[in-house]
Amino acid sequence: MTALIELSGVTKTLKGQQEPRTILSGVDLSVHAGESVAVLGRSGSGKSTLLSLIGLFDRPDGGQYLLNGKDITKLRERRAAALRSAEFGFVFQRFFLLKHLTAAQNVAMALVNGQGWLPRRHRKARVMAALEQVGIAHLAKHRPARLSGGEQQRVAVARALVRQPKVLLADEPTGALDTETGNLVIEVLHATTEMGCGLVLVTHDWDHARRMGRVVRLSDGVLHPEDVEVGV
Amino acid sequence: MRRFSGRLRSALIIGIQGIRARKTRTLLSIVSLFLGVLAVVVVQAGAEAANKAALANIELMMGKDGTVQMWVPDEKHALSLTLDTLKGRTDAVGTLGTSATIGEPGVNPVNPGGGPFDQPGEYGPMGGGQFYCDTRGYCKEVPQQQQAEQPPVGAAIELGLTGFTGDIRPFRPYKLTSGKWLDFSGPPSLAPRIVVNKVAAKGFARYQIPAEMRIRGAIANPTPHIIGVVDDGQDRPMAYVRADELTNWVPTTTAGTFGGMEILRTQEATDVEQILKRRLLADGLTNDQFSSMVIQSKKEIEGQLAMFRLIFLGIAGLVLLIGVAGILNVGLATVGERVEEFALRRAVGTPRSLLAGIVLAETLLTGLFTAAAAIGVASLCLKIVSRVLAGRAAFLADMEFPWQAGVAGILAGLIAGLLGGLIPAIRAARIPIATVMRA
Repeated sequence: MTALIELSGVTKTLKGQQEPRTILSGVDLSVHAGESVAVLGRSGSGKSTLLSLIGLFDRPDGGQYLLNGKDITKLRERRAAALRSAEFGFVFQRFFLLKHLTAAQNVAMALVNGQGWLPRRHRKARVMAALEQVGIAHLAKHRPARLSGGEQQRVAVARALVRQPKVLLADEPTGALDTETGNLVIEVLHATTEMGCGLVLVTHDWDHARRMGRVVRLSDGVLHPEDVEVGV
Repeated sequence: MRRFSGRLRSALIIGIQGIRARKTRTLLSIVSLFLGVLAVVVVQAGAEAANKAALANIELMMGKDGTVQMWVPDEKHALSLTLDTLKGRTDAVGTLGTSATIGEPGVNPVNPGGGPFDQPGEYGPMGGGQFYCDTRGYCKEVPQQQQAEQPPVGAAIELGLTGFTGDIRPFRPYKLTSGKWLDFSGPPSLAPRIVVNKVAAKGFARYQIPAEMRIRGAIANPTPHIIGVVDDGQDRPMAYVRADELTNWVPTTTAGTFGGMEILRTQEATDVEQILKRRLLADGLTNDQFSSMVIQSKKEIEGQLAMFRLIFLGIAGLVLLIGVAGILNVGLATVGERVEEFALRRAVGTPRSLLAGIVLAETLLTGLFTAAAAIGVASLCLKIVSRVLAGRAAFLADMEFPWQAGVAGILAGLIAGLLGGLIPAIRAARIPIATVMRA
């Protein structure tokens, strides 16, 4: 079965003002549909860089990146934007909700992005379905200021899910939440894998990592499988 | 095309959301831009008003551009020779001007001097004599006999009377408003058929007067037959008649009656001028007694007005630039504040071009709102000014807000929005997505 995401020997070097710094050196990673992978690592180990390469925010310096079997290693920005819209959903540590928009309008942001045009009533149906999926449809007309942290992050998850992505990328999504709310968000994220969505979760939290199907650790620019009991 | 439409709609939706979220900033941008756009609208409206006032009747009064105008003096047999030369020609028309009074004999006309009916002039002493001055400042000496007798104002109208040797309308496009125009095809009538202008028609409608016409220098008083009304652009009463019907009663041999003759011809009809010159020279006139020129009045006035318009638009453009700087300033500040929003939008698949489009949509909409406000204010001011000053300047009475000023305002608003939004738009498009990862 073709992997959704397949990275082989991916390298990335950051060229700063001083010496160039190698962040990733020969990363191999594959994620299949319906699979969840947790990426662990110390601060500055390159977890977010890895996620930005997977999410097409940036391009690798070397190696190969296959998405659904197609080589997208050297993609132009315009095509990358179209793929980000169609294939990926993103959840960040900070929620990045626009305070002047309602929860529904924040979710609709991912639909009003110039990648295809959906009539208003179809947009509304998709937005409500996504909010339903994360359990906050009743808060659709609330602005972020009136929502709790957990509710705001669930709006952000709905925004990531509204385009029905094939891969969900989450960068420390529980970092700004208390344990209980964090668990709730992880549950929502994990539930997406049951619908065939691939999930890559970058986290510091062991408990959250162990709930994924697989755990890998990024160390010295290389991914190592972590020998832990998973799926608990 | 569909992709473009989707992006345009997306840019508009997000742009409107952005404006609604930052109402105070939008208002400040509008305030900074308002004077510049208003200046453009006012200059354009003023230029159109000046055009209307200066050009509306120029062709009617002076003649179409390209027409050749020639003057023949009232000396020896010049007028009769000219009339004979022009007889039956359609490519050259001669005009004979005099004045006439229609109505009761032995009274002063209601408009002495042939002035307009609504703005009567005044009698008064000047240089030892008695004069009548009309409202345009044209003064005419009242004859000694009339001064002594001081006849009362009666049922008579004085008007300018012009005879044509042929149809003048190819050269001066008089607009027939009722009745019919002079017919030059048949033999002349002893009862002169006249076409009056709108001002004269107003006088005839207002005053009941007998149909007797006293023409200056005439051998008898004929009974005129009014057959039509034309718009000739004149502000004083005029009547037009066939030259041969006029000369039935006013012989061209009476020196000084007509003061000369104006000839209008096409540029191709050079033979008329050549024949006429030969005949006049043979009659004893000299070359320096007649001259000709090509009418270019409209072109010249248009050129002068265009220059003034450009100068004033240049000044308005400078004021507009200050407004552009205001929009630019607000735009840059806004993009600086929205770095995370734009990075997030890129992360969810929004192309760079759309990000630029969002910022431009906001500034263009701001420009359009400003234009709407400026057009509204200018239109309102014009209504007030035209009501207050209508009595002092006639052209203001029926002045409507010119659509060209509206278009200029909208263009100024859009250009200002484009110039003010361009740099912020480029900055927005260049915001790296990684901003959301590092946050």
